Amino acid sequence: MNKTFKKYMAASAIVIAGGIASAAHAADSVNVAFFLEWATPNQIAKVDKAYDDAMGVDVNWTDFSTGVQMTEAMLAGDIDIAYSQGLAPFVTAIQQGAPLKMVSVAVVYEANDCFVNDTLGITSANASELEGQTVAVPLNTMADFSFRKQMAALDVDISTMTIVDQAPADGAVSLADGSVAMACIFGGASAKAAGEVGTPIMSSQEKTDAGIGSFDVVSVTEKFATENPDLLRTFLQVTEEANQAWKGKTLQIKKVSADAGMDFETTKDQMAGFIFPTIAEQQSGYFGEDGVAVSAAESLGLVFKKPGAWNVDEKIAKVITGEFLE
Amino acid sequence: MFDWISDNRASIALVIIIGLAVVFVFSIFVGVKQTGLRAKDEVFGDPERTKGGWYWALCGVSALLLVWFYYSWGAARAVFPTAANELCQVAKVEEAMSPISAALPVGSRYLKSTTLVVRNAAQVDKLAVSMPAEVFTLREQAKLTLAVAQIKDLLAVLSSPALSDPAAKSAFLAVEVSLRDVAKRLQADYRELQPQKEALQQPKWGTSEVEIPLLPVTGKGVLLDSVTQDVQEVAKAFLKVRNISPQAKQLIADTKEILKELKTPDPLMQLDEAGEGTRNAYVKAVDRIFKRIDDGTIFPAQAMDGVHFAVNEVFASLAVAKGGLSVVESLFFPGHGVVKSRTQCTEQGSGRWLPKPTDVIATFSTLANPDLESGGGYKGTTLLWWKWLPIADVVAFLMPDGLVDMLPGSYGTHGDSGEFKPNYKDRLLAFAQGDVNLGSVPMLDGHIWDSLFRVLVAMGFGILVGVPLGIYMGVSRFFKSFFDPLIELYRPVPPLAWAPLILTIFGIQDDGKIFLLFMVAFAIMVISARTGASGTQLSKIRASHSLGATNGQILRHVILPNAMPEILTGIRIAIGVCWGTLVAAEMLAGTTGIGFIENVARTVSDYELIWVTILIMGLLGLLFDLVMRWAIAKIIPWRGKG
Repeated sequence: MNKTFKKYMAASAIVIAGGIASAAHAADSVNVAFFLEWATPNQIAKVDKAYDDAMGVDVNWTDFSTGVQMTEAMLAGDIDIAYSQGLAPFVTAIQQGAPLKMVSVAVVYEANDCFVNDTLGITSANASELEGQTVAVPLNTMADFSFRKQMAALDVDISTMTIVDQAPADGAVSLADGSVAMACIFGGASAKAAGEVGTPIMSSQEKTDAGIGSFDVVSVTEKFATENPDLLRTFLQVTEEANQAWKGKTLQIKKVSADAGMDFETTKDQMAGFIFPTIAEQQSGYFGEDGVAVSAAESLGLVFKKPGAWNVDEKIAKVITGEFLE
Repeated sequence: MFDWISDNRASIALVIIIGLAVVFVFSIFVGVKQTGLRAKDEVFGDPERTKGGWYWALCGVSALLLVWFYYSWGAARAVFPTAANELCQVAKVEEAMSPISAALPVGSRYLKSTTLVVRNAAQVDKLAVSMPAEVFTLREQAKLTLAVAQIKDLLAVLSSPALSDPAAKSAFLAVEVSLRDVAKRLQADYRELQPQKEALQQPKWGTSEVEIPLLPVTGKGVLLDSVTQDVQEVAKAFLKVRNISPQAKQLIADTKEILKELKTPDPLMQLDEAGEGTRNAYVKAVDRIFKRIDDGTIFPAQAMDGVHFAVNEVFASLAVAKGGLSVVESLFFPGHGVVKSRTQCTEQGSGRWLPKPTDVIATFSTLANPDLESGGGYKGTTLLWWKWLPIADVVAFLMPDGLVDMLPGSYGTHGDSGEFKPNYKDRLLAFAQGDVNLGSVPMLDGHIWDSLFRVLVAMGFGILVGVPLGIYMGVSRFFKSFFDPLIELYRPVPPLAWAPLILTIFGIQDDGKIFLLFMVAFAIMVISARTGASGTQLSKIRASHSLGATNGQILRHVILPNAMPEILTGIRIAIGVCWGTLVAAEMLAGTTGIGFIENVARTVSDYELIWVTILIMGLLGLLFDLVMRWAIAKIIPWRGKG
């Protein structure tokens, strides 16, 4: 046997072994997707390896910047659980027929704000003056959903507006320039920048009164849920324990902020706006009969629905389940 | 008509595929024949050799389309329109089996029980040696040691065939019998089975939002579907089986008691907060491992042998029931096959991210439909159409409002009875703002036009500014030395890097996007014109100089024609790069444009739309290039013939 041939043999052996290893990998480790700069109490459990201990397997965490990427990774089989995927990417994934399901609510937070340039003097009282103006909206995101809901609540006709698709950071810049009258923003840093030159069109109270809110979901692949229901239950239990243990102590915030990649103050501010519903609250409020989970997903599905087909009400309820919450 | 075409896209695709195959073979035949004919009269390297050859173009295009049809599963849908639905039923059976097969070494190396025993035993051992003795009293330590020992005992009891729960044994036997029954049923004759009426009314594969409908439409599918429900029942029964023999029960109860006692610290032990934390964490860790095994889901290695055989039998029967479908699947469904989700079955692998050619055309036709009311266009704008453009708008664009502000006098106010009489300044302002009627001209409109407009304007400026500058840089020491560092400094910077600045400087209108594209085109034009100018043969310049030509004449009649080939090649390259930058430019503040469509489609993973935009950009690029080739042939016919 000559040298080159040996090399080829060795290389192909490694490739084959790698292939087998990745196939057999699934049972011994669980891959979880999460967002950076999105602080949650379970990051303490993540850092302390509480998940690994409770589930008895290696839990690998991979950070993502968008929920759509999480869906892609789940479809490719690289991710089993997405902890805190936005409702919007989850619903659009279901619309595309992705084999995913929603098993829990991760974070409940105030709906994203739409900031109006301060020089215009437009508030919720005279919101109809927004008609005919240019607004910056990151299309097909939770901010887009929130924008449509808020405009509907304020009775503003969005068909008269020029809607510009801008990422939050760009939207904040355009708001400061005055090239847009209003910018809908998600994300702490961009919201802060937009808040310098603008004011939210609806206050927190007004949004709550109008029933506009958002939440992130915990989604899993169908395959993982059928094959490892026990691991999934434990995962949600550990999350629950971490949420229960959350007291907002300085030490806790420090731990979370280090893991989330943000400074202490930003983490604190961000988490002040978050609610982490307990399993009992989720079972009664979100996953019970007439639960918020299904109705919110349905109304979001209707907003993002393509013209033509898709009966949202028939489908979305089937992929939302509270059976793994115990 | 459109609906009919849309519904029958699979059959239409079949005709197209056959046509393509014929063209492919025919073009190769013609090509080989032509090559043979000419082989003797042409010299290698002669540019004439590249002329003509339409048959090879046909061959290339048809080969590409055939590959596209194949990898997008378009060929599979055309030839076997019901195969995906049958594969969906297979996926259903496999999914229903998965709770059982996940416990067995089917598709994995070890029994789930083996994995659990090995993993938990290792963790118990690790815990036993890492006990933090300082936070426990001696009594507690003894208790903990006992608990750990009992957990190990429990693992042994659960693994022992002699000590295992007889109820579990009989339950497994029942599962085994049911599975063998399922295997037998899978071999039943399905030719007589009829699909439900409801199933036949489902939309066809890929013609609606639902990719592959769930209900079976063939006899084989009906058989597989009916088996699925039984398998689900069996799987449910299987998951309920627990291995809790009297011995195990006793051990579990004892350990539970000990761990419960340990939860409250011994009052004799004084602990600070940190110590308490360590103590609780350790007790919890032991408790966790115990809780993982106290539900009796670990079985002796041999306990599931029967079930394992039965599962293999089911899968073997499934393979038999699939029959020719397996061959079709491996030949025509490259990628990861059909995957079942809760509401439909979907294509995975190349079938998912590469839409079928016919579907792309269908999406394109919807987009191209200029009737916005009936769902055409995208986000309220047509793809490519025309509209009446008020001339006043053009005037308003060119005339800044500030000019009117600078005029003497002030704007009018409303009168006592609420009436408003505009004065001359108001009228001029209305003119400057386009609020007057100056008639309209027809103008192109839509996403494609908007993108095209941006590219063309940027190219125009790039040529107008870049070519003269480049030529002067080729002939003048001042221009070369002055501009060279500036241009070379900004040229290598990727356009996207400028994007944040552009938004702040130019705002969200077209000018920013055009400027971004201009910067790309400008650098290329300067460099190509400069290379062309400096590459002029010195003998030609000297000859014209000695014949009495002025500087201007040398520039116009010698240097410019000599630089022309380089300039035209530069334009070709610049247009290509401009199209490439367009997606980035339209991401800044998207309202219209092909890049905007792609950016939005990306956020919802709408692959059909993404491919439509890719194809539009490719085709437009190709169109430009054809125009440029024609222009090159007209403007510099002498190229390559010197």
